[in-house]
Amino acid sequence: MLDRLRFVPGRLLQAIPVLFGVTLIVFFMVHLLPGNPAVAILGQTATPERVAALSKQLGLDQPLWDQYLLFMKHLFQGNLGTSITYQRPVSELVFQDFPITLSLLLFALVLSLAISVPLAALAATAPGRGRDLGVRAFTLLGQGMPQFWVGIMLILLLAVKAGLFPVGGYGETWGEHWYYLFLPALTLAIAMCPTVIRSLRASTINVLGSDYVGTARSKGAAGAGLFRLHVLRNAAIPTVSIVGVNLGYLIGGTLVIEKVFAVPGLGSLMINAILARDFPTIQAVALFVALFVIVIGILTDVVYTAIDPRVDLSSKEFA
Amino acid sequence: MTTAVVRASRAMRRPVRSRALKPWYRNGTLVAGLVIVGLLVLVALLAPLLTPYDPIAQDLEHALASPSGAHWLGTDKYGRDVLTRLMYGARIDLRVGFLAVLIPFVVGSVLGALAGYFGGWFDTVVMRVVDVFFAFPFYVLVIVLVFVLGAGESSIYLAIATVSWVSYAKILRGELLVAKKQDWVIAARLGGMSHGRILLRHIAPNVLSQALIYAMSDIVMDIMAIVTLGYLGLGIAPPTAEWGSMILDGQEFITTQWQQATIPGLAVVVTSLGLSFLGDGLSDLLTPERRR
Amino acid sequence: MTRSTRLRFTGIAAVATVALAACGGGASSSSGSGGAPVAGGTLTIARSQDIISMDKTTTFDNNSIYVMEQIMEPLFTVSKDGSKVEPWLATGYDISADKLTYTIHLRKGVTFSDGKPLTAADVKFSIDEDTKTGTDGWGYINSAIDTVTATDDSTVTIKLKYAWAPLLADLSLFSNGIIPNNYGGKSKDAFYAAPVGTGPFVWGSWTKGQSVKVTANKKYWGHKPHLDAVTWTVVADANTRKLQLQGGQIDIDDTPDWSSFSSLKGTAGINAQTFPSTYEQYVTFNEQHKPFQDVHVRRAIASAIDRNAIIKTVLFGNGTVADSLLSAGTPFYDKNNGAPGFDVAKAKQEMAQSSVPNGFSTTILISSGNPDQASIAQIMQSELKAIGIDLKITQLDPTAQKQARLKSQFDMVAQAWTMDIPDPDEWTSFAVDPNGGSHSSFSYYNNPQVIALNKQAEKETDDSKRQELYSQLQKQVSADSPFAYLYYAPYVFAMKDSVKGFYSTPLGNYHLEDVYKTK
Repeated sequence: MLDRLRFVPGRLLQAIPVLFGVTLIVFFMVHLLPGNPAVAILGQTATPERVAALSKQLGLDQPLWDQYLLFMKHLFQGNLGTSITYQRPVSELVFQDFPITLSLLLFALVLSLAISVPLAALAATAPGRGRDLGVRAFTLLGQGMPQFWVGIMLILLLAVKAGLFPVGGYGETWGEHWYYLFLPALTLAIAMCPTVIRSLRASTINVLGSDYVGTARSKGAAGAGLFRLHVLRNAAIPTVSIVGVNLGYLIGGTLVIEKVFAVPGLGSLMINAILARDFPTIQAVALFVALFVIVIGILTDVVYTAIDPRVDLSSKEFA
Repeated sequence: MTTAVVRASRAMRRPVRSRALKPWYRNGTLVAGLVIVGLLVLVALLAPLLTPYDPIAQDLEHALASPSGAHWLGTDKYGRDVLTRLMYGARIDLRVGFLAVLIPFVVGSVLGALAGYFGGWFDTVVMRVVDVFFAFPFYVLVIVLVFVLGAGESSIYLAIATVSWVSYAKILRGELLVAKKQDWVIAARLGGMSHGRILLRHIAPNVLSQALIYAMSDIVMDIMAIVTLGYLGLGIAPPTAEWGSMILDGQEFITTQWQQATIPGLAVVVTSLGLSFLGDGLSDLLTPERRR
Repeated sequence: MTRSTRLRFTGIAAVATVALAACGGGASSSSGSGGAPVAGGTLTIARSQDIISMDKTTTFDNNSIYVMEQIMEPLFTVSKDGSKVEPWLATGYDISADKLTYTIHLRKGVTFSDGKPLTAADVKFSIDEDTKTGTDGWGYINSAIDTVTATDDSTVTIKLKYAWAPLLADLSLFSNGIIPNNYGGKSKDAFYAAPVGTGPFVWGSWTKGQSVKVTANKKYWGHKPHLDAVTWTVVADANTRKLQLQGGQIDIDDTPDWSSFSSLKGTAGINAQTFPSTYEQYVTFNEQHKPFQDVHVRRAIASAIDRNAIIKTVLFGNGTVADSLLSAGTPFYDKNNGAPGFDVAKAKQEMAQSSVPNGFSTTILISSGNPDQASIAQIMQSELKAIGIDLKITQLDPTAQKQARLKSQFDMVAQAWTMDIPDPDEWTSFAVDPNGGSHSSFSYYNNPQVIALNKQAEKETDDSKRQELYSQLQKQVSADSPFAYLYYAPYVFAMKDSVKGFYSTPLGNYHLEDVYKTK
């Protein structure tokens, strides 16, 4: 199998120009924003002179290209820069907030699988009939609801009316963290489910109708054992890549959820940085997220390769 | 991973039974979709006729009124009729949703098709650019762009267009990669047919259906994006009625008048359902048994 | 020793107190009474945003300021009713005959929380540190100071460049808070990462984006805090804060929604209170854009606004109509200044006399994510239609809106001001003097008469004469209407009934050493 993982180094190399492109775009786009950190920092007493003086002190009056080169130079030295708003290393901020967002995503992933797998199985084993249509309705509903609205509804029903869960926040202890993350994770899971269910359902149907399952059946393996062993494993294959794409896409979606539930993760950090024009933080977080998305992509393909012996992503055709 | 996704999405697309043999009006999902979307469009177009109220007329004496005979869904904090604003909101959200898809569809499809068909350095460049955009969290990019471009409808179109063309590019490229290997295409080239003719008259009609189907779900995503931008306070400026900003306005009263935040969300859900049915129905129609 | 002048405070006729009584319930009283103070416990306050920094000279956000004020204290502080300055780390002062030298006597026996005694050298260092920041930070507030000298261990002499009435008020600003000489040997950054002061609380810890904690200072010179610690948590959503309060997770909700105020007040176990503030909401006209150079247009708009309707919708009735450039809690506020009220007939009259009698089309700039401004803009839009003005709303993100304001790229803009010091000067210079740095709060208002009045007033140390000057100033500004005053809004807090002794001064700061929790 290691042989079939030959594609990994190549992909890592390909990631470099992509990341470079990301830094370029973010840097220049973010500097197009009206206002700068000095404007954001100064309060009601802000005047054009004070803004200019503070901008100078913060090094913001240097030509843009010079600032970019300085940023890249620091990057190569492993320095993500210093947050202008907090006057602390950005890496400190990122490494504090990233685990929170990651926990949220993983929790959401687990929840979505816990919901999707049984539902997909229900649907696939009776295609076209009642429960299939029910599951399909559920997926359509899941796709049709704005994420932030789902969050607000869950807060309304489960926190305000039923009092079962806290209304937003993050808690203090490790146990509390998971308790506080349940509703936001559920909201994300509901957003993830539709694509996962559809993919799993479709590929399960295919596998159930395929030759080798028929062979296995005729050999006498029946019921739950058959399903778990052969079907799920093979049905999972296309789903793995769907999940991978989703995960990468969702890390951007956590931004809105973190706002609704007041979770102090990377999304909150990013949105606050944008509002405060904290350029170093915006750049670093964008880069970090891009890296994460790319790594998830590569990991997905590694898992894909591991599960499906037929796949060989190293061959030229798939470049 | 590109190809893995394409393979996976192919697996998804294969219907259990071939429904293309049924006429369109017997296709339940398609009909349901047409009915729902049709009704919504009708309500949006005829809004001024359907309601006596002005969506931005304030009546501060009767603010935050509960649903009643005069105001079927109550009033908001400025005394404006919620049902009226819901109807006028449909105009904004539907219109922006449909229009926001056009540019990405055209630009993305063309770039993607050319990349897939001709390959070479053009393909590499386009795909690297696509990768860069894919690595970006969607909302971050849109938010920053809206900030940069300033408030207003055109900024929203531009922001969404800049970010969503990449999906079409990827789809079309994938389609073209396969299409160009078809026997008849190779034969046509050998026979001397120009690239242009092959692309426009023969390949295009076949591959565009995939992009069209994706476009339907893209409209849903665009409506989500606009509603989310409205919720974040970055959408169309007040006092224009729009579902996202209505949810934002209503959130303050979630513990007392929860319908203010809930109902505009339901409107979005119904719209998305209708469009999803439409997309699914279209998918059944346009993609009978596909090649493996 | 200089010819001694009796110890005195800057006593100002409490015109303020009368006006304060009109503002909401519990005017100057703190929360709850009855029940003896109970020792111990942690007070949890939830706010919508995090602190940014503890650097007292370059921080501008209230969240950081209210925390650092528990740790670092100034020589003088504002009285509970906001009308005057009281001695704090200083016990009193003498002023020279030419009004240019202030000799300040320090309180004896005060130590920093690390045990080191407070000396004049610390005071000199602290004030100079602020002055040094110049225009980057709060340095400008000390611009009248020439030199600060530590005459002996407990006396500080301040020489002024020119007579300056607001000096003591300036010294009461948190940016002139007293810290150890030379940062106690640490670097500036290291010091402010865990600041040391003479205050009732000591720096505890800070988890960015989540919470900041301070603990009681056992060595405090004043009456020791009842509480063991105070924690401020970050909870962005007002509904969340409300539910957390109702659920007992927090003790105080720092800014509950006005819409929930009366229901919170009526909830058992919860006490919702307003405190008089110096917060004034107003609209600025850009006199560089036609037709706002025409005073009739400005007066017309100011008269066409139904302020009570705005107060009802935005504040749910918990505010008062703004009727002067100065807010009601500010010293030298004079309500008899002829400010425009809601009078549509007068508005139409003014329009008829103006350069655009048939109305015109214009815009108002607001900040996104600010529901109050959105409400004000929408209500004004509807009200100005009556006098023929078509108002469109431009909404930008907060920083972009600030930027546009700084560059005077607006027709009308919604603004607010809260006093930083118990003296009108900082605000009036900002608002009416084009050379005050902000082009008259970005309006480009330029009335030489008013500018002269302002300059005179800041040098006038006799209070009754100063009152006369500021009264004239307020009258003229109301007549010129460079701003349309909207409303004064009080500070509002919602807290558990078990929290006692909590109050906020009109400048917004609170003294948490007075707070205790009962069981």
